[in-house]
Amino acid sequence: MTTRTPHGLALLRLCLLALIAALAGAGAAQAADAAGKPRRIVSINMCMDELVLRLADRDAIASVTWLSQDPRNANMADAARGLPANNGLAEEALTYHPDLVLAGPFTERSTVALLNEVGAPLVEFDVPETFDDVRRQIREVAAVLGETERGEALVAEIDRRLAGISLDPSRPPLRAIILRPNGFTVGPGSLVDEILRRAGMANLAAGLDIGAYQQIPLERLALLDADVLIVDSEIVGAPSLATEALDHPIVAELSHSMKVVSLPSRLWTCAGPALVDAIQRLVDATDGAAARGKRN
Amino acid sequence: MTRAPARAPAAYWPLAAALGGLALAATLASLLVGYVHLDVVAALGDVAHGRRSLPALVLVELRLPRAALGCAVGFSLGLTGAAMQGLLRNPLADPGVVGVSGGAALGAVVVFYCGLAGAFALALPLGGVAGAFLAALALYALAGRGAGTMTLILAGVTINSFAGALTALALNLSPNPYAAYEIVFWLMGSLADRSLPQLWLALPLMLVGWALLLSSAPALDALTLGEDTATSLGFDLKRLRLTLVAGSALAVGSAVAVTGAIGFVGLVVPHLLRPLVGHRPGRLLLVSALGGAIALLVADIAVRLLPIHPELRLGVVTALIGAPFLLSLIDRLRREA
Repeated sequence: MTTRTPHGLALLRLCLLALIAALAGAGAAQAADAAGKPRRIVSINMCMDELVLRLADRDAIASVTWLSQDPRNANMADAARGLPANNGLAEEALTYHPDLVLAGPFTERSTVALLNEVGAPLVEFDVPETFDDVRRQIREVAAVLGETERGEALVAEIDRRLAGISLDPSRPPLRAIILRPNGFTVGPGSLVDEILRRAGMANLAAGLDIGAYQQIPLERLALLDADVLIVDSEIVGAPSLATEALDHPIVAELSHSMKVVSLPSRLWTCAGPALVDAIQRLVDATDGAAARGKRN
Repeated sequence: MTRAPARAPAAYWPLAAALGGLALAATLASLLVGYVHLDVVAALGDVAHGRRSLPALVLVELRLPRAALGCAVGFSLGLTGAAMQGLLRNPLADPGVVGVSGGAALGAVVVFYCGLAGAFALALPLGGVAGAFLAALALYALAGRGAGTMTLILAGVTINSFAGALTALALNLSPNPYAAYEIVFWLMGSLADRSLPQLWLALPLMLVGWALLLSSAPALDALTLGEDTATSLGFDLKRLRLTLVAGSALAVGSAVAVTGAIGFVGLVVPHLLRPLVGHRPGRLLLVSALGGAIALLVADIAVRLLPIHPELRLGVVTALIGAPFLLSLIDRLRREA
């Protein structure tokens, strides 16, 4: 009696897997083209979408996520719009008979497990935490796409533009803090932290006992007495409590005593040249601002 | 005819004055307590001289609305709990347990996420009031006159889960990616990072609700003698019911619209204070309201002092204390029956 249920479940699972494999199998058999490049690429992660759109031939992309088609989220929305969109589900990915599926760290684990089980050609990537990670990730994605040269060119472009950013070397770092929706701030061990450093700022979150991404009460944030407060005020669209936190009257009041800089999160979320745009924007916005230590 | 007081009740006005003093003290304590040390005296000096220093901003823009909302919302919950228990003549009638808070959350959610509150700020508390009013009407229809505890609880469970499901649906339909995760705020409220505009939005409606509920005290006392006796004493019961339902909806609906639903305050506080006023529901109203304010302020001070980060939600704390209390109350009612 007790063994019957697991047996039944296992059988059902086997049938399902067989069905999905049959769905996927038809196309996956003839995997890549003559040059070894994948020809039916499906990305189920927003950051992978951007790299695929930048590096792969357009006719080789079968589908990207729906998130990338919204210019508020994504830097490549125009390019993404003409392509079929997916919601990041295994079942959807398989309907395109992909010869390459790109997933990110926030892809549902069950989706990854299912894709692996039916033998779909899945490659997973992590969140870059430094610019070295960014270069490595671009090269790795370029390699699986069979576009090594384009990958190298993209890395070179990022490095060239990074070298072009000039800071006033006599200015001590500005003390900065980030306020994200829901009252989150970003600490050390994140790409954003390096972006701040490269823009001539010191992240005040480093001095708080919080991790890479943590909520900070507004009261604590206000009394940090930062030089620069970084918010994303380009958020538009449907209301939410998360974004309402950024409209708290104290944020407006703080703009009298500190420089408030708006930086849309799409510029610093994914590996790509937009990261340099983020640095440039911070540098331009704080041009001429003096660190508190210097004024006193 | 009515249940004789178990012991001599404390003198009413001294009791109310003592609780009022405690509520005031708790409000001041709430201003002093925070995540960061704040020199409140210096901040007050800056406020008095119109200087916009950071401590002055924190005091006025963050701590003041938090303390004032804690006091006002606690007052609303304690008062509504006492009034509903008097109306339904059932000690388990708490706005959270019977679904009035859940209805208020639904009303506020619909108004907030469809963008109406952005266009017309007062729509948010009005949405909460409308939701609470519908839930209170549904409750009265299902378990109004002389229904047993079982019926009341079942009606409450039904209204609560239905309102909760519709709230989740409304949040899911919002195109904002954050919305779906915000059900926690609406079902387990919080006073964190509230603002002065939110206080000014909710307070006027709450005041009207308080006035309606407190004005019902003589009728509630008469109702303990039975509906027929109360009617013969000249009380219009239909009007009483409508006044109490409207008052509860205004007090709780506008509170939930700015802080989310905070449960069990309206259940625990009236129960603890009832013996002190000789079990008279009319006298319980003000006393229980002040007790509710004290309870909520103390809970909110506790979440900021506890070394748990990010802070515990206020609704979680009140439920952790209130739910075992509700269980023991149900157990006692069952043994008495």
